[in-house]
Amino acid sequence: MAKVELQDVRKSFGTHEVIKGIDLEIPDGAFCVFVGPSGCGKSTLLRMIAGLEHTTAGTIMIGGKDVTIVQPAKRGVAMVFQSYALYPNMTVAENITFGLRMTNQSKATTEKKLSDAALILKLDRLLDRKPAQLSGGQRQRVAIGRAIVREPGVFLFDEPLSNLDAALRVEMRTEISRLHAELDSTMIYVTHDQIEAMTMADVIVVLNAGRIEQVGSPLELYHNPNSLFVAQFMGSPKMNTFAVELSDYGHRKTKVDLPNGGFIVVDGSERLSGPAVLGVRPEHITIDTKGELKGEVVLSERLGPETMLHVDVGETEPVIVKEDGLNKLSRGDQCALKIEADACHLFASEGQTIRSGSLLD
Amino acid sequence: MFPTPIENSSSLIRIGYKVILPIALFLWLLPLLGIAFTSIRPAADLDAGNYFGWPSNFAGVENYTSVFTRSNIGYYILNSFKVTIPTVIGTLILSTLAGYALAIYNFRSNLIIFFLFVAGNFVPFQILAIPVRDLSIDMGLYDTSIGLIMFHIAFQTGFCTLFMRNFIKALPVVLIESARVEGVNDWKIFYYIVLPLVRPAIAALAVLVFTFIWNDFFWATIMSQSVSVRPITAGISELKGQWKAAWELIAAASIIAALPPVAMFFMMQKHFIAGLTLGATKG
Ligand SMILES: Nc1ncnc2c1ncn2[C@@H]1O[C@H](COP(=O)(O)OP(=O)(O)O)[C@@H](O)[C@H]1O
Ligand SMILES: [Mg+2]
Repeated sequence: MAKVELQDVRKSFGTHEVIKGIDLEIPDGAFCVFVGPSGCGKSTLLRMIAGLEHTTAGTIMIGGKDVTIVQPAKRGVAMVFQSYALYPNMTVAENITFGLRMTNQSKATTEKKLSDAALILKLDRLLDRKPAQLSGGQRQRVAIGRAIVREPGVFLFDEPLSNLDAALRVEMRTEISRLHAELDSTMIYVTHDQIEAMTMADVIVVLNAGRIEQVGSPLELYHNPNSLFVAQFMGSPKMNTFAVELSDYGHRKTKVDLPNGGFIVVDGSERLSGPAVLGVRPEHITIDTKGELKGEVVLSERLGPETMLHVDVGETEPVIVKEDGLNKLSRGDQCALKIEADACHLFASEGQTIRSGSLLD
Repeated sequence: MFPTPIENSSSLIRIGYKVILPIALFLWLLPLLGIAFTSIRPAADLDAGNYFGWPSNFAGVENYTSVFTRSNIGYYILNSFKVTIPTVIGTLILSTLAGYALAIYNFRSNLIIFFLFVAGNFVPFQILAIPVRDLSIDMGLYDTSIGLIMFHIAFQTGFCTLFMRNFIKALPVVLIESARVEGVNDWKIFYYIVLPLVRPAIAALAVLVFTFIWNDFFWATIMSQSVSVRPITAGISELKGQWKAAWELIAAASIIAALPPVAMFFMMQKHFIAGLTLGATKG
């Protein structure tokens, strides 16, 4: 249980700056997820918090103490690696207790912690196996067990689920969330998968090219992104975007000219004219004969409860519309799309939000 | 399937394979067979010029016992062990530790030191014969086992360090990082994590170095003289002098001398297991 604070943290490999000044405060007991595209510096930042990478500039504080130049072992953190990092020559029990045994903990405490961790992670029957005899999910559980027995103030996870198959990933996701609730520790979790971020996090930190794009709760980021990058990164399928022209509609309303002739009117835009990017999520577009956008269905993905219709409206990419699972439209059908004006996001061409389509109170 | 099993090839290839293989095998083993046969020939055969024919009678027991009773070969074998075993142990300890340091730590002169180890292998040791002899005389190490051991270790460590460094470099780094986050100190990481994983490499080097040092003739002749120091490779030549080339005894002694490296290979065989890091990472 410890608060983590980063103050203008930077990291360069040679002359190549990878982390470009991060200021962040992760409250005690939070589940914080670093999310961002591959190569944006998530792992590097996590490894800096762990002490595995030297910090080029800035300050890292854990539990109120400056740990910027402290050894990894003395930071009170435990790390779970993407590739599990199990010691292949040791059994599950030996793997879990290795750190304790090597740091001269008493035999009784070691045994107690091992059996507690094994119980939490349902590993009690596997304690005598070698890592090679375990499935991917079991290996990941052993890696987590190794972290738990250290009773760290902060857990660090680097894409722990990305080597697992889809079903197992969903299962482990809930298991890690449960673990967080049970252990009450601060957890920092790195992933490139926005679904993991949305489902697990208290706080999401969106990283882009070594900088923080936005920090907020999952719903805040989803409904109230402060840039086009965040808007497109959060949510699956992706937010639909159109290049549009704005013009003043009077009464502080803005007219948004759609690509193929139609228009919608929105309020509360910071800019009233000029080029902009319109963003609408698939669930805020409906099939409606009175719709502004005419198009042709090119693909319908039937997921069961809902159907994703890909509609070609003459843009480079088709518009994705989330419809009811019983929708009958299929490839080749003509349709018209109605955009929910309140839920429209507008972004300046430089990417920052000029109108939020948030439906949150 | 690759390679295609020989049973599935055309009949021409199959017949060719069956004819050529035994011939090649025979040619390849011919020198060994020659020595083995010579070692069981009575001396009279050789005097009579029967070098390659069938031995007139089996004199194996007699030859092999006289090697021990009528020469110092027993001592020489002991001397060889006295030099080879400490060399193997010393070389492996030094090169594993040096390889670990060069593979894991990012210190400033890391690459330079590594290249020094590599470059050392390119110096032909014949050039060093005279200086090494002079040096060993100056240091009072000439004609001692310890002298041979020290120079052997010095010459072997270069290649072995190169080998170990690259082997350790290929281990998953996360294993070491993970242990480091757990607060395990570096000696314990070396002993409990790295050492078990490099066992196949150590076994391979042990066989290689053992064979090389056991078979060494060059330094054995240059650095030793007395019966209490000479290894077997240099000692065998004594048989030539004493009995004006008693080839049957030289052959028997050679066969005896060749056995320990073979035994070493079979002893270490079970450690050459592949896939030791299986299950460490995703797999
Ligand atoms: N040891 C290193 N040396 C040089 N560059 C590195 C090193 N580690 C990471 N990088 C670079 O830093 C950037 C961020 O990497 P990383 O933190 O692994 O990204 P992510 O985890 O977000 O995919 C990448 O461009 C990568 O090439
Ligand atoms: Mg990464």
